[in-house]
Amino acid sequence: MIKRILRHETILALLTVIVLAILAYQSDKFFTVDNLLNQGRLMTEVGLVAVIMTFVIVTGGIDLSVGSIVGLTAILTGVFWKSLGLPLPLAAFAAIACGTFGGFMNGVIITRFKVPPLIATLATLALYRGLAEGISQARSVRGYPESFYVLGQGNMLGVPTQLWLLIITAIVAGVVLGYTRWGRTVYAIGSNEVAARFSGLPVDRAKLAVYTASGFAAAVAGVILVSRVSTTRSDMGTGLELDAITAVVLGGTSIFGGRGTVIGTLLGLILIQALKNGLSLAGIKGDGTIVLIGVVLILTILISNIVHRDGNR
Amino acid sequence: MPETVQPFVSLTGATKTFGGITVLKAVDFDVRPGEVHALLGENGAGKSTLIKIISGLYVPDGGTIRIGGETVTLSSTRDASRRGIATVYQELLLFPEMTIAENIFLGNYPKTAWGGIDWPEARRRARALLDSLDSPELDIDRKVASLSVAQRQRVEIAKALSRDARVLIMDEPTASLAEADVQRLMEVVRALRQRGVGIIYVSHRMPEIFALADRVTVLRDGELIGTRDIGEVTEATLVAMMVGRSIDQLFPKPEPIIGETLLEVENLVSGKLVKGLSFSVRKGEILGIAGLVGSGRTETALTLFGITPAESGRIRIAGKEVTIRSPREARDLGIAYVPEDRGLQGLVKSMTIRQNVSMASIDRLSRGIFIRFAEEAARAVNAVKRFGIRARAGIEQPVGQLSGGNQQKVVIAKWLETAPRILILDEPTRGVDVGAKSEIHAIMGELARTGVAIIMISSELPEVLGMSDRVLVMNNGHLVSIIDRADANAESVGAAMTVAKKSKDAA
Amino acid sequence: MANANHPTSASGRAPSERGVIARFAAAYGQEIVIFFAMIALFVIVTAINPRFISPENLNTIFSGNAYIAVAAIGMAMIIITGHIDVSVGALIGVLATISGTLAVSGYPVWVALIVPVFVGMAVNAVIGVMVAYARIPSIVVTLGMLSILRGGLITVTGGAWISGLPPEFLIAQAKPLGVPAPIYFMVALTLLAAFWMRYSEFGRSLYAIGGNPEAARASGIPIERRTVMVFVIHGAFAGLATMLFATQLQVIQSTVPPNLELTVITAAVIGGVSILGGTGTVIGSTLAAILFAAIGSALIFTNVSAYWLRAVIGVLILVTVMADMIRRNRQGRA
Repeated sequence: MIKRILRHETILALLTVIVLAILAYQSDKFFTVDNLLNQGRLMTEVGLVAVIMTFVIVTGGIDLSVGSIVGLTAILTGVFWKSLGLPLPLAAFAAIACGTFGGFMNGVIITRFKVPPLIATLATLALYRGLAEGISQARSVRGYPESFYVLGQGNMLGVPTQLWLLIITAIVAGVVLGYTRWGRTVYAIGSNEVAARFSGLPVDRAKLAVYTASGFAAAVAGVILVSRVSTTRSDMGTGLELDAITAVVLGGTSIFGGRGTVIGTLLGLILIQALKNGLSLAGIKGDGTIVLIGVVLILTILISNIVHRDGNR
Repeated sequence: MPETVQPFVSLTGATKTFGGITVLKAVDFDVRPGEVHALLGENGAGKSTLIKIISGLYVPDGGTIRIGGETVTLSSTRDASRRGIATVYQELLLFPEMTIAENIFLGNYPKTAWGGIDWPEARRRARALLDSLDSPELDIDRKVASLSVAQRQRVEIAKALSRDARVLIMDEPTASLAEADVQRLMEVVRALRQRGVGIIYVSHRMPEIFALADRVTVLRDGELIGTRDIGEVTEATLVAMMVGRSIDQLFPKPEPIIGETLLEVENLVSGKLVKGLSFSVRKGEILGIAGLVGSGRTETALTLFGITPAESGRIRIAGKEVTIRSPREARDLGIAYVPEDRGLQGLVKSMTIRQNVSMASIDRLSRGIFIRFAEEAARAVNAVKRFGIRARAGIEQPVGQLSGGNQQKVVIAKWLETAPRILILDEPTRGVDVGAKSEIHAIMGELARTGVAIIMISSELPEVLGMSDRVLVMNNGHLVSIIDRADANAESVGAAMTVAKKSKDAA
Repeated sequence: MANANHPTSASGRAPSERGVIARFAAAYGQEIVIFFAMIALFVIVTAINPRFISPENLNTIFSGNAYIAVAAIGMAMIIITGHIDVSVGALIGVLATISGTLAVSGYPVWVALIVPVFVGMAVNAVIGVMVAYARIPSIVVTLGMLSILRGGLITVTGGAWISGLPPEFLIAQAKPLGVPAPIYFMVALTLLAAFWMRYSEFGRSLYAIGGNPEAARASGIPIERRTVMVFVIHGAFAGLATMLFATQLQVIQSTVPPNLELTVITAAVIGGVSILGGTGTVIGSTLAAILFAAIGSALIFTNVSAYWLRAVIGVLILVTVMADMIRRNRQGRA
């Protein structure tokens, strides 16, 4: 199994290097420190969500509600601060707590009521986005104090603040998934949930934890997003779930669960961001790059499927 | 059965290999119209492979199939079905969310003039078919999900008849039926024979075979041992043909060292199949649990293991009263359970031997939350050596690639890693080859001698009789009797198993 | 042996049969629930604000989500077969742009309307082949297709609106006999699809594949071919939905309607299509699409902000699905 994972990641790493090389050759603006760091800043929100989404998908589940949790957290940050008059840091923490609770609710619906994750989080996608819309009445909140932008627009030791957060999260997540009994439990659940339960592993608790973490990551991403773009709107984070899932699946995590790594997800993220950036530098219009991402996603899985044709689904 | 009757289906030299292992070696087999041909053999003898070849699920690697004298290739079940071969599967391939009528005609609907499905006609014919199977109580508009196993089976038979089956394959049709349902099924089979349908009947149960079969074929290790008319054989000769040796040689049981009582269960109740059970197991003892499938044996184990916690009753371990609400709690109390369905419940097939062996004890193998990989590997290496697990790639081999016997040893190794005081084994040798079987029995004997209390659930009577110090017999969720080793024999246990309390099938 | 079911004792009893009404209730449980929920909604909202059932508002309610209902028919078939399609919203966006572009370029109206249907079928044929033969999970394929379609659309159009549509192109605005054309469309397609799902061998095989693929294969159903076909049909319904979507306003926003795919999936699921595959009907999905429009309108007529609509729908899906799971779990134990 380890060999198989390596093979997918090797393919992906090679692909990433090739893409980076082509992009560097195409535009001398690509391989500048400023550009690269800025790209890191841009991919943090999706990155945080995708890293935790890796856990969710490895358990054989999916979380479609993360984009809505981003939006809800953003709105709540604004509402807590502006309407309730809480100090901004407290407002942000309270909003993150609410977003995390949203993730916890997903976990409860999935583990207690045995609702399939796809449909449970599809429902909460609508619910949380609806709450964001209902609470905000589609009004945006602006005028945050300068100090708040440190998180989304500032630098620490020359690197965007939020990128540190992503790096630390990725390292911790990678270690947890690869080297701890929690990670082992996650893999076991995704490979054969019944056997995991029959082996005395805490299946429901692990799933609950994973969805709660996913809500937490999305909530943090929501606050970062507010800080980066200096405003809150209820439609923030729309479609973010698809970007995150694309990165995870591109990174070699099986959508059926049981297989995947954080490193793969990071490679997937970098590849996507590099494509977006590089193509826009090369003069291809912004959103057109999404086409390429879709093609890359399907092709990678297709090739990976052909290489690993082992009959195991 | 006169020799002059031409067989409807005949196989000559049928051979099948999977991944280098030959599971069927040049087997000849045939079925005549209007006969019941019993197919016998231990688990792994090749019965299901043979059946799957006849039903078109597998294409044989060698040999020929003739149907009505014509040489054919059956490349799909559709092919087979078109040629009049139908199968009543052991795992019952029905669609739970569809009605009985629809299940019967799926893929073969009566059509109206304009080509649409003629539902009134389908319902009428479904009604007639079920009536002809003496099942007027089955409502054709009911969803199959709500039916009992016996009822589903009749739906499957009706489905086969709706396609004008000339040959009907029945794979262990009585394995999960209560006695009353068995009688009823046998009536149906006799009626089908009367109509000229040829029936391939796979079963372990000798009384049924002698009551129904015209001929019997025995397979062992993928080879044909022989085909006989039923009049030529006795139960003893059939068993000898199946196992190749007598029971005493199969179960070399060391003298037990029985200690004090370890587990006491009083009035245990859980769900519909554990209805007030009381028994105890002592250190070093092997308690066999016998009973038909559906008698509550596995459900009792699942209750003790915390999968379906007890609703009432008392459980005491070493004199201390305990509650068991999850497998983890069970494990921490020293209870281990080697489950019935190895592939689903026992193993994570895509994971390696190392990862599976450590799965139930991973928290004890960790420092904080970090897994001690060296320790984990060392233990796996140990287990491979201790149990003689044969794996080409060593401990890093995914367990899905191992043979049934080696897989079972991995499951046992996994649970012994938790150092259990009470080991529950559910069908420990199902789907395991003869060699690994006796190895597993040896492991059991050895464990018992170290003071582990063992509860063994098994559908194989010889195994129960050969291994148990006492035999607990269950029927319909109740304890029927507990029989000491000295008094346990095929008659006493068999009789207790089949005591018909009441029909479960009163729907 | 006192066996009540024994053949000899059974001959005297009348076979248990259900009446037509009982059978109908058993087969359309979810649809009946939605229907009565809708009636209840109408009664309550009308009591608060009688203008709710004015003919104009009823026309709005029934025609406003007709394109969603039509797309949900195809989606219901996909989910019944055990798959999912998250790209249908983007596909409709692309098809609408194609349709509008053809219309303003002077092609006959019928060409502008029919071409999207074939394009939809072609795109989904590709998806179907990937799912059935390359064995890539449908969620992954359609996720990729979503990116391709959405990105492609914005790249090509730059987000520009299409205006100057010929008046005869705007068929969704037509009102034969005073009833908006989309309603005829929706009702006809729903009945046709429902009939086909019930009375064709093909339709029934979709339930079989979604309910128990292994058994479906053993029953001789060509699973791969049927999977490709159901995606193609779904593509055709996306094209038909486009006919209503593209022709309802004087302009076509050549962007992807946000979250359309989720609304479509939601309609199918609330309509009683189990996400686990194997059950559900297209009548339910159409009723659910109408219910959404009715709830949206009800919010307005009861002076509740329409921004709460999605939250209400979210709660609605949760309740529906949890009820379904509780029922299933109970059935599984019985």
